[in-house]
Amino acid sequence: MSIARAFPVFSAAFAVIYLACVQYNLAPFTYHAELMQWGLGAQPPRQGPAMYWYGWLTTSTLGATAVAALSLAVPASLAKRVWPGFVWLIPLGVIAVFVYILRGYFLR
Amino acid sequence: MLACGQEFEAGHRPLGETRVLTVLLIVHSLMAVALLGAITHQTVGVWWPAKKRTGSFVSSLRSVPSMTYTNAVIVLFILTMIVGSIIYTEYRVSIRVTLQDYRMYVPEGAFELKEHVASIALGLLPAYWYYWRQSLSQDRATTRAMVTTLVACIVWYNFLVGHVVNNIRGFGS
Repeated sequence: MSIARAFPVFSAAFAVIYLACVQYNLAPFTYHAELMQWGLGAQPPRQGPAMYWYGWLTTSTLGATAVAALSLAVPASLAKRVWPGFVWLIPLGVIAVFVYILRGYFLR
Repeated sequence: MLACGQEFEAGHRPLGETRVLTVLLIVHSLMAVALLGAITHQTVGVWWPAKKRTGSFVSSLRSVPSMTYTNAVIVLFILTMIVGSIIYTEYRVSIRVTLQDYRMYVPEGAFELKEHVASIALGLLPAYWYYWRQSLSQDRATTRAMVTTLVACIVWYNFLVGHVVNNIRGFGS
Protein backbone atom coordinates (compact mmCIF):
# COMPACT_ATOMS: atom_id res chain seq x y z
CA MET A 1 0.00 0.00 0.00
CA SER A 2 1.44 3.34 -1.04
CA ILE A 3 0.96 6.47 1.05
CA ALA A 4 1.20 8.48 -2.17
CA ARG A 5 -2.29 7.44 -3.22
CA ALA A 6 -3.62 9.69 -0.44
CA PHE A 7 -2.01 12.78 -2.03
CA PRO A 8 -4.92 13.58 -4.38
CA VAL A 9 -7.29 13.27 -1.39
CA PHE A 10 -5.09 15.69 0.54
CA SER A 11 -5.27 18.25 -2.28
CA ALA A 12 -9.05 18.10 -2.66
CA ALA A 13 -9.60 18.16 1.12
CA PHE A 14 -7.15 21.04 1.57
CA ALA A 15 -9.17 23.30 -0.74
CA VAL A 16 -12.47 22.58 1.00
CA ILE A 17 -11.03 22.91 4.52
CA TYR A 18 -9.26 26.15 3.56
CA LEU A 19 -12.57 27.59 2.37
CA ALA A 20 -14.16 26.63 5.71
CA CYS A 21 -11.21 28.18 7.57
CA VAL A 22 -11.65 31.50 5.77
CA GLN A 23 -15.43 31.52 6.09
CA TYR A 24 -15.51 30.63 9.80
CA ASN A 25 -12.08 32.07 10.70
CA LEU A 26 -10.66 28.80 12.00
CA ALA A 27 -7.21 30.13 12.83
CA PRO A 28 -5.28 28.47 15.69
CA PHE A 29 -3.14 31.59 15.95
CA THR A 30 -3.12 35.24 14.85
CA TYR A 31 -0.25 37.43 13.76
CA HIS A 32 -0.46 41.11 14.66
CA ALA A 33 1.76 42.46 11.90
CA GLU A 34 2.09 46.03 13.18
CA LEU A 35 3.14 44.86 16.65
CA MET A 36 5.02 41.79 15.30
CA GLN A 37 3.25 39.65 17.89
CA TRP A 38 1.67 36.21 17.70
CA GLY A 39 -1.45 35.29 19.65
CA LEU A 40 -3.27 32.03 20.26
CA GLY A 41 -6.59 31.54 18.49
CA ALA A 42 -8.41 33.98 16.24
CA GLN A 43 -7.89 37.28 18.03
CA PRO A 44 -9.41 40.65 17.11
CA PRO A 45 -6.99 43.29 15.76
CA ARG A 46 -5.00 45.08 18.48
CA GLN A 47 -3.07 47.70 16.58
CA GLY A 48 -3.06 47.52 12.80
CA PRO A 49 -4.33 44.45 10.96
CA ALA A 50 -4.64 40.99 12.49
CA MET A 51 -3.42 38.30 10.09
CA TYR A 52 -5.18 34.93 10.16
CA TRP A 53 -3.81 33.54 6.88
CA TYR A 54 -0.91 31.64 8.49
CA GLY A 55 -3.36 30.04 10.88
CA TRP A 56 -5.76 29.10 8.08
CA LEU A 57 -2.90 27.39 6.23
CA THR A 58 -1.96 25.45 9.37
CA THR A 59 -5.53 24.31 10.05
CA SER A 60 -6.01 23.32 6.41
CA THR A 61 -2.77 21.33 6.34
CA LEU A 62 -3.61 19.47 9.55
CA GLY A 63 -7.20 18.83 8.48
CA ALA A 64 -6.26 17.66 4.99
CA THR A 65 -3.56 15.40 6.44
CA ALA A 66 -6.16 13.78 8.73
CA VAL A 67 -8.61 13.28 5.84
CA ALA A 68 -5.84 11.87 3.61
CA ALA A 69 -4.75 9.48 6.39
CA LEU A 70 -8.34 8.29 6.82
CA SER A 71 -8.65 7.74 3.08
CA LEU A 72 -5.88 5.14 3.29
CA ALA A 73 -8.33 2.94 5.17
CA VAL A 74 -10.43 2.69 1.99
CA PRO A 75 -9.38 -0.35 -0.05
CA ALA A 76 -7.33 0.58 -3.13
CA SER A 77 -9.70 -1.32 -5.41
CA LEU A 78 -12.61 0.82 -4.20
CA ALA A 79 -10.60 4.05 -4.31
CA LYS A 80 -9.75 3.44 -7.96
CA ARG A 81 -13.43 3.70 -8.84
CA VAL A 82 -13.57 7.36 -7.72
CA TRP A 83 -13.31 9.77 -10.63
CA PRO A 84 -9.78 11.31 -10.45
CA GLY A 85 -11.08 14.57 -11.94
CA PHE A 86 -12.33 15.59 -8.48
CA VAL A 87 -8.73 16.49 -7.64
CA TRP A 88 -8.87 19.54 -9.95
CA LEU A 89 -12.62 20.09 -10.07
CA ILE A 90 -12.99 20.60 -6.30
CA PRO A 91 -10.20 23.24 -6.03
CA LEU A 92 -11.61 24.94 -9.14
CA GLY A 93 -15.05 25.02 -7.50
CA VAL A 94 -13.53 26.46 -4.32
CA ILE A 95 -11.85 29.20 -6.37
CA ALA A 96 -15.24 30.00 -7.93
CA VAL A 97 -16.73 30.31 -4.42
CA PHE A 98 -13.91 32.70 -3.44
CA VAL A 99 -14.60 34.83 -6.52
CA TYR A 100 -18.25 34.94 -5.42
CA ILE A 101 -17.32 35.84 -1.82
CA LEU A 102 -15.02 38.63 -3.02
CA ARG A 103 -17.40 39.90 -5.73
CA GLY A 104 -18.02 43.10 -3.75
CA TYR A 105 -14.52 44.33 -4.61
CA PHE A 106 -15.14 43.98 -8.34
CA LEU A 107 -18.74 45.22 -8.56
CA ARG A 108 -18.39 48.60 -6.84
CA MET B 1 15.01 61.17 9.36
CA LEU B 2 16.89 60.12 12.49
CA ALA B 3 15.04 59.07 15.63
CA CYS B 4 16.38 57.29 18.72
CA GLY B 5 19.60 56.49 16.88
CA GLN B 6 17.74 54.59 14.14
CA GLU B 7 17.17 55.79 10.61
CA PHE B 8 13.53 55.76 9.58
CA GLU B 9 11.90 55.95 6.18
CA ALA B 10 9.21 58.53 5.53
CA GLY B 11 6.70 56.02 6.91
CA HIS B 12 7.34 54.21 10.15
CA ARG B 13 9.63 51.29 9.39
CA PRO B 14 13.38 51.41 10.12
CA LEU B 15 15.35 51.90 6.91
CA GLY B 16 17.24 48.61 7.36
CA GLU B 17 13.99 46.69 7.59
CA THR B 18 12.67 48.41 4.46
CA ARG B 19 15.82 47.40 2.59
CA VAL B 20 15.44 43.78 3.67
CA LEU B 21 11.81 43.80 2.50
CA THR B 22 12.87 45.33 -0.83
CA VAL B 23 15.50 42.62 -1.35
CA LEU B 24 12.97 39.94 -0.45
CA LEU B 25 10.46 41.44 -2.89
CA ILE B 26 13.06 41.30 -5.67
CA VAL B 27 13.95 37.69 -4.76
CA HIS B 28 10.23 36.85 -4.68
CA SER B 29 9.78 38.37 -8.15
CA LEU B 30 12.79 36.57 -9.63
CA MET B 31 11.67 33.20 -8.29
CA ALA B 32 8.17 33.89 -9.60
CA VAL B 33 9.62 34.51 -13.08
CA ALA B 34 11.53 31.21 -12.96
CA LEU B 35 8.40 29.41 -11.73
CA LEU B 36 6.31 31.02 -14.45
CA GLY B 37 8.75 29.84 -17.12
CA ALA B 38 8.90 26.28 -15.80
CA ILE B 39 5.16 25.78 -15.36
CA THR B 40 4.39 27.41 -18.72
CA HIS B 41 6.86 25.12 -20.52
CA GLN B 42 5.36 22.11 -18.79
CA THR B 43 1.78 23.11 -19.58
CA VAL B 44 2.54 23.71 -23.24
CA GLY B 45 4.43 20.43 -23.40
CA VAL B 46 1.60 18.47 -21.82
CA TRP B 47 -1.22 19.87 -24.02
CA TRP B 48 0.65 20.37 -27.27
CA PRO B 49 3.59 17.93 -27.39
CA ALA B 50 5.76 17.98 -30.51
CA LYS B 51 6.02 14.66 -32.31
CA LYS B 52 9.20 15.73 -34.03
CA ARG B 53 11.61 18.51 -33.11
CA THR B 54 12.18 20.77 -36.10
CA GLY B 55 14.49 23.32 -34.51
CA SER B 56 12.02 26.20 -34.55
CA PHE B 57 11.29 28.14 -31.35
CA VAL B 58 7.71 26.83 -31.11
CA SER B 59 8.83 23.26 -31.75
CA SER B 60 11.52 23.57 -29.07
CA LEU B 61 8.95 24.96 -26.64
CA ARG B 62 6.57 22.05 -27.31
CA SER B 63 9.16 19.30 -27.18
CA VAL B 64 10.44 19.86 -23.65
CA PRO B 65 10.43 16.74 -21.47
CA SER B 66 7.61 17.95 -19.21
CA MET B 67 8.28 15.48 -16.43
CA THR B 68 11.70 16.98 -15.68
CA TYR B 69 10.07 20.26 -14.61
CA THR B 70 7.97 18.73 -11.82
CA ASN B 71 10.42 18.92 -8.92
CA ALA B 72 11.68 22.34 -10.02
CA VAL B 73 8.11 23.68 -10.09
CA ILE B 74 7.39 22.31 -6.61
CA VAL B 75 10.61 23.69 -5.08
CA LEU B 76 10.20 27.09 -6.79
CA PHE B 77 6.54 27.33 -5.76
CA ILE B 78 7.33 26.59 -2.10
CA LEU B 79 10.31 28.98 -2.00
CA THR B 80 8.33 31.74 -3.73
CA MET B 81 5.48 31.23 -1.29
CA ILE B 82 7.77 31.30 1.76
CA VAL B 83 9.34 34.60 0.70
CA GLY B 84 5.91 35.91 -0.31
CA SER B 85 4.50 35.04 3.10
CA ILE B 86 7.26 37.08 4.76
CA ILE B 87 6.69 40.22 2.66
CA TYR B 88 2.93 39.72 2.89
CA THR B 89 3.01 41.38 6.33
CA GLU B 90 4.23 44.60 4.69
CA TYR B 91 1.31 44.42 2.25
CA ARG B 92 -1.17 44.14 5.12
CA VAL B 93 0.39 46.91 7.18
CA SER B 94 1.26 49.54 4.55
CA ILE B 95 0.08 48.75 1.03
CA ARG B 96 -3.47 47.51 1.59
CA VAL B 97 -4.23 50.59 3.65
CA THR B 98 -3.15 52.78 0.74
CA LEU B 99 -5.35 50.84 -1.68
CA GLN B 100 -8.28 51.34 0.70
CA ASP B 101 -7.52 55.05 1.15
CA TYR B 102 -7.56 55.57 -2.61
CA ARG B 103 -10.64 53.33 -3.00
CA MET B 104 -8.78 51.00 -5.36
CA TYR B 105 -11.18 48.14 -4.77
CA VAL B 106 -10.31 46.02 -7.81
CA PRO B 107 -6.56 45.71 -7.06
CA GLU B 108 -7.37 45.09 -3.40
CA GLY B 109 -9.89 42.37 -4.26
CA ALA B 110 -7.54 40.87 -6.83
CA PHE B 111 -4.83 40.63 -4.16
CA GLU B 112 -7.26 39.06 -1.69
CA LEU B 113 -8.02 36.44 -4.32
CA LYS B 114 -4.29 35.95 -4.95
CA GLU B 115 -3.83 35.07 -1.28
CA HIS B 116 -6.53 32.40 -1.48
CA VAL B 117 -5.64 30.85 -4.84
CA ALA B 118 -1.97 30.66 -3.82
CA SER B 119 -3.05 28.63 -0.77
CA ILE B 120 -5.17 26.34 -2.93
CA ALA B 121 -2.25 25.83 -5.34
CA LEU B 122 0.00 25.01 -2.39
CA GLY B 123 -2.47 22.33 -1.36
CA LEU B 124 -2.56 21.03 -4.94
CA LEU B 125 1.18 20.33 -5.04
CA PRO B 126 1.00 16.81 -3.53
CA ALA B 127 -1.54 15.77 -6.20
CA TYR B 128 0.53 17.51 -8.87
CA TRP B 129 3.59 15.50 -7.79
CA TYR B 130 1.57 12.28 -7.58
CA TYR B 131 0.19 12.53 -11.11
CA TRP B 132 3.54 13.47 -12.63
CA ARG B 133 5.24 10.62 -10.81
CA GLN B 134 2.90 8.27 -12.64
CA SER B 135 3.59 9.94 -15.97
CA LEU B 136 4.14 6.66 -17.79
CA SER B 137 0.53 5.59 -17.29
CA GLN B 138 -1.71 7.19 -19.87
CA ASP B 139 -4.94 6.56 -17.95
CA ARG B 140 -4.26 9.58 -15.75
CA ALA B 141 -3.04 11.87 -18.55
CA THR B 142 -6.12 14.11 -18.53
CA THR B 143 -6.04 14.55 -14.75
CA ARG B 144 -2.32 15.32 -14.90
CA ALA B 145 -2.88 17.91 -17.62
CA MET B 146 -5.78 19.55 -15.77
CA VAL B 147 -3.92 19.75 -12.44
CA THR B 148 -0.90 21.23 -14.23
CA THR B 149 -3.09 23.75 -16.05
CA LEU B 150 -4.80 24.80 -12.83
CA VAL B 151 -1.45 25.36 -11.11
CA ALA B 152 -0.21 27.26 -14.19
CA CYS B 153 -3.29 29.51 -14.27
CA ILE B 154 -2.87 30.29 -10.57
CA VAL B 155 0.83 31.07 -11.01
CA TRP B 156 0.05 33.39 -13.96
CA TYR B 157 -2.77 35.12 -12.07
CA ASN B 158 -0.62 35.62 -8.98
CA PHE B 159 2.28 36.92 -11.04
CA LEU B 160 0.15 39.47 -12.87
CA VAL B 161 -1.67 40.68 -9.74
CA GLY B 162 1.60 40.96 -7.83
CA HIS B 163 3.07 42.93 -10.72
CA VAL B 164 0.09 45.32 -10.87
CA VAL B 165 0.04 45.92 -7.10
CA ASN B 166 3.80 46.48 -7.17
CA ASN B 167 3.27 49.09 -9.88
CA ILE B 168 0.66 50.83 -7.72
CA ARG B 169 2.57 50.79 -4.45
CA GLY B 170 5.88 48.97 -4.78
CA PHE B 171 9.52 49.89 -5.19
CA GLY B 172 10.28 53.52 -4.50
CA SER B 173 6.67 54.57 -3.95
